[in-house]
Amino acid sequence: MFGPLGFSLAPSVRRSRTLYKWIKPIADWYANLAGYRKMGLKYDDLLVEENPEVQKALTRLTPREAYDRAYRFKVASLLSVNHKPLPKEQWLPVSEDVRYLKPHVQEVVKEVEERHTWDTMEVRRK
Amino acid sequence: MLAARTSASRGATRLARSFATVVDSAGVKVASVDYGQPTSAVTLLVKAGSRYQTKPGVAHALKNFAFRGTSKRSALGTIRETELYGGVLSSSLSREYLALTAEFLRGDEEYFVDLLSSFVTSAKLTRHEMAEIVHPVIEAEAASAQEDPATRALEIAHTLAFRAGLGYSLFAAPHSHVTTEDVKTFASSAFSKDGIAVLGTGIEQSALQELVQKHLNASQLSGSGLKTSASSYYGGETRVEHGSGLQTVFIGYGTTTPSAELAALSAHISAQPSLKWSQSTVPSATGLTAGTTVQSVYLPYSDAALFGILVQGPTSQAVKQAGQAAVKALKDATGSSGLKAEDLKKAVAKAKFQAASVSESREGIFSVLGSKVLAGSDASVDSLVSSLDKINSAAFSKATSALVKAKPTYVAVGDVDTLPYADELGL
Repeated sequence: MFGPLGFSLAPSVRRSRTLYKWIKPIADWYANLAGYRKMGLKYDDLLVEENPEVQKALTRLTPREAYDRAYRFKVASLLSVNHKPLPKEQWLPVSEDVRYLKPHVQEVVKEVEERHTWDTMEVRRK
Repeated sequence: MLAARTSASRGATRLARSFATVVDSAGVKVASVDYGQPTSAVTLLVKAGSRYQTKPGVAHALKNFAFRGTSKRSALGTIRETELYGGVLSSSLSREYLALTAEFLRGDEEYFVDLLSSFVTSAKLTRHEMAEIVHPVIEAEAASAQEDPATRALEIAHTLAFRAGLGYSLFAAPHSHVTTEDVKTFASSAFSKDGIAVLGTGIEQSALQELVQKHLNASQLSGSGLKTSASSYYGGETRVEHGSGLQTVFIGYGTTTPSAELAALSAHISAQPSLKWSQSTVPSATGLTAGTTVQSVYLPYSDAALFGILVQGPTSQAVKQAGQAAVKALKDATGSSGLKAEDLKKAVAKAKFQAASVSESREGIFSVLGSKVLAGSDASVDSLVSSLDKINSAAFSKATSALVKAKPTYVAVGDVDTLPYADELGL
């Protein structure tokens, strides 16, 4: 629950069709309001990377993804220095705001958990 | 006394013949032999050696993907669970076959057969495994192969002798750019019904067959099989600078018809003494200085064979001397006068012993008889030995003189300034 991806109610919301219908517009509105798309960033760029799981996941990006991520950070830091977001036509389109890092983080977390299970298992004679 | 002797000889024939039954189980060939060993071993033999590779190094990469993540268990799970069973997993690559072997205590075969078959049915071959585990291992293996002058000489000799196909190196180059996509394409065509055989030692044939039927679902082996063109022999000469290790020279000949006569020739030329700490009395060992070795190499493949003499020594001068003696011995043995009757007898006896003793070890059985199982031919040690029995001097001189008529393959690895050239050895 308190893994590197943080706490999320999204899976349970997505499971109920009514709840999803009500909450989706609010979520979209919130994501736009958060303003990271104005800086040319994707949601996964905001993920806290100061932990071993995310660090490992970052090494598993394709060279292209890693390059694009670094480029987005460079653009965003420049905009931050200038105190000015991108012009509106250059904002990150919603279609491009995909979770490119999440699957890798999930995979790494699964591996860490599996290692923990093997390390702490008890062997019983059948 | 007499009764004991007959039963012993009956035991020996049963032993030698017992690998001969090959049964198609779930479309895959299964063969097993049980001598009553305390441990069992199962080898999955896949026709995915380096001769079939579509890109340099892809077979080597696939070999190192063995026992990594599959859809059934992760790489870590494989290792930890195998440790719990006390098993040993290994993979090896030859020019024709990729062999995955699991050795374990009797009774654990269910888990290990499942483990081996999950590699061919559901290996994940992910990009991060390639970058994190497989690639560093490939690089290390390639680097250590580069360091060994004998391995290097044989690799280069294969390339000179057969060029494409059998000439491809077993090792990926340290700078190779094999991607997971390449490995996946290679694996998907390699994992076909005709290209896989399951071999067991220390396990009942019927038990292994049952397990294979249960775990290796042939419908998942949808590959079309790898194809390669027939080998042909070229030959040539090359010299390679090598900083460390012994000065090495390889003198070889290739042929597209492997025969028992060549095995006998190899046994005749080999200067390995039969008695420890002694000097061999074969002609190729005349004038050998301390630390210099003359080994004969006979590598039969499905459609070709490479015969050669590997001379290694501390100095170029010693190698030159030993090389000249070896070439002279080879010329004498293959010349018009042929081999003396007792020399031929000695050579055949030595070759027969070598052929028979492979059935003692697990690796020997798998490497020598595995290819026969896959080809569906008579996979018994008997057939190996009996073909040597049929050798006569006429057939010997015919096969060997045909061999040395071809252009020689000559490789010098080490100090290229002082190592002899092929003509200086009398080739």
